[in-house]
Amino acid sequence: MRKIMKFTVKKKMVLTAYLFILPVLAFNLLFRVAPIFMSLNLSFTDYDGFTSPNFVGFENYLNLFSQSEFWQSMLRTFQFAFEVIPLNMIISLFLALIVNDKIKGMGFFRAAFYLPVITPMVAVSIIWMWIYDPQAGILNYFLSLFSIPPVRFLQDPSNAMHSVAIMRIWRGVGWNMIIYLAGLQGISQNLYEAASIDGANKFRQFFKITMPLLKPVHVYVVTVAIISTLQTFTEMYVMTSGGPLESTTTIGVLIYRAAFDYMKMGYASAMSFVLGIIIMLLSLFNLLINKKGDDMN
Amino acid sequence: MIKKQLLVLLVLSTFSLFCLGSGTVKIWFAGTNKPLIEEVENVLIPEFEKENPGIKVKAEFIPWGELSTKLTTSFAGGIGPDIFMHGQAAIAGFAEKEIIAAIDDYIYGIEDFADFGSTLDAGVYRGKSYFIPVFGSGRLIAYRTDFFQNAGLNPEEPPITWEQLRNYAISLTKKGNNGRVSTFGLNLPVEGVDLQQSWTAFLIQNGGGLFDENLNPIFNSSEGLEALNYYIQLVQKDKVSPDYTLQGMGNVHPLAAGTVAMSYIVLEDLAQMKMYSPKETEKIKVMLPTVREERASFYSFAGFMVSNSTRNKEDTIKVLNHFTSKKSITGINRALNSLPPRQSCVEADFISGNPDIGMFVKGSKYAFGNPNMPNWVQARDILVKYLERAVKGVMGSQDALDSAAKEISALK
Repeated sequence: MRKIMKFTVKKKMVLTAYLFILPVLAFNLLFRVAPIFMSLNLSFTDYDGFTSPNFVGFENYLNLFSQSEFWQSMLRTFQFAFEVIPLNMIISLFLALIVNDKIKGMGFFRAAFYLPVITPMVAVSIIWMWIYDPQAGILNYFLSLFSIPPVRFLQDPSNAMHSVAIMRIWRGVGWNMIIYLAGLQGISQNLYEAASIDGANKFRQFFKITMPLLKPVHVYVVTVAIISTLQTFTEMYVMTSGGPLESTTTIGVLIYRAAFDYMKMGYASAMSFVLGIIIMLLSLFNLLINKKGDDMN
Repeated sequence: MIKKQLLVLLVLSTFSLFCLGSGTVKIWFAGTNKPLIEEVENVLIPEFEKENPGIKVKAEFIPWGELSTKLTTSFAGGIGPDIFMHGQAAIAGFAEKEIIAAIDDYIYGIEDFADFGSTLDAGVYRGKSYFIPVFGSGRLIAYRTDFFQNAGLNPEEPPITWEQLRNYAISLTKKGNNGRVSTFGLNLPVEGVDLQQSWTAFLIQNGGGLFDENLNPIFNSSEGLEALNYYIQLVQKDKVSPDYTLQGMGNVHPLAAGTVAMSYIVLEDLAQMKMYSPKETEKIKVMLPTVREERASFYSFAGFMVSNSTRNKEDTIKVLNHFTSKKSITGINRALNSLPPRQSCVEADFISGNPDIGMFVKGSKYAFGNPNMPNWVQARDILVKYLERAVKGVMGSQDALDSAAKEISALK
């Protein structure tokens, strides 16, 4: 009898737990998981957004793999990611170390560094377009004070991608700074005190204590950064529309054009899927090499 | 008992929703211009609803940049508008996919439809009418009269031929003490849709065309090559036009800021300059398009299309008639400071009292628009890509035009 009662109570608890997570589960299934499978299904069709889709097999995939435009934009996307991720990590860690100090008024700086993160990307992009403007931009104004001719930050194909990357780093450091700050505050002060007693200087403490203990944070930051930078779209679309001379046409821009300018939803879905698989493989690879490193240690 | 009450409530609410939905016509306007919203919400809709008590009009204003995306998703979700506004270049694509309905049977019901003149032709695709133009915009060259005077040129006699345009641009280009150009004689776009529209004007002025009647590319002709070489000469060789796009609205528009002496503008640029830089705008005049074989300038109209999925065509057509009447077209164009497609609107105060808008109206005599072809946006982007390569000197002009033609032909 007691056993039956115990079972019923346990069952009730489990049911209650499931009931609590049901809304979130339903939301995710409906708006996240289902669209992924619908998109996969569309990638095998000629869907144009309006008329009924027709099954075309692997035609979309074969088409995109044969397009040099697709590979070039993929290459640019990776170039952008490799430029943004390391610099973003270094700067955000540096900022986290600074704001980790318990100095009066540090809260203001934490908020100030985080402010760009909560500003909409479109607004940020427009402001940076003004900053970069060759005629009226403040950056070129400062350069002119040193008799430096105007730099075409967004108009020159060799500068455009780097200029957008700088903006992206500026906007993203606040987010990673908070993540690193949380990681730093999780490291026990006792370790630093013990190291000081043993004669380790700040530099040695950083590389022997801080960096190794921040490893899970690095893994998280890199994984999230890979996912977000490879999906880059808004800043490219607003600031350069993929130009000049296609120098900022990332895969995100190409997907948008195919879907909403050319109404090739099936083709765009195929590109999205290829990008999704690449992101998933890279994220897994990142997690695996870090796990392997942990096992070896 | 409670169950029964709930059931009755459900049936009643569904019925009332159905009744409400059946008498409502959804209309989407392109753009979020405040005076337009006020004109539609405060004048045009109340007028219509007063005359047609059984029909409600629900207007939405969609930013141009989001229009295609929102139309696609709303139609895919089965909640698209009954009437929507779009550029004339979208007609072929929508008609081909049967998104929009042919309105030939209803066009005669529109108040004085002959008043639209040839602008209605822009809405014809494969012999059927799909589009009623509402407002237009043209691309003409504007110039600074004070810069003309400083360079010893008569501001009352702007350039007419290509040779004159080039010579004027050379005379008007000024260098600063540091040896760098402080004022460019001419501002030609070097990227994006603006480049395509400006180059196409030179192509047509030179007697060429973009496509033949079977929609095969013909722009890689000798006329096209000559037009492109002329364009490149101004940008790369004479350096009278910047090799990057000088842009800005209001007081930072290159004309208002004084960094260029002549520049392609649209009516909206002029209105913005007038608002934020009234003194400088007084020194700006608009000229008719230049000529080689003929005059030509790019004009486009935005207008209404009727959705094929509209549930109440009768009410929808009534709304369409109201929003394309003389009074409505005048009101909308006054609000937008744009070009009305109705001939009779030329006498309206906002046009007759403004010589610059008057010049745009005169210029519309030489107007050409985008071709009505299903893959136009993709074809245009391909053309832009190769024109940009040629203008920026990374590809030869003939090679660029041939490559664009080849790629566009493959779209078929």
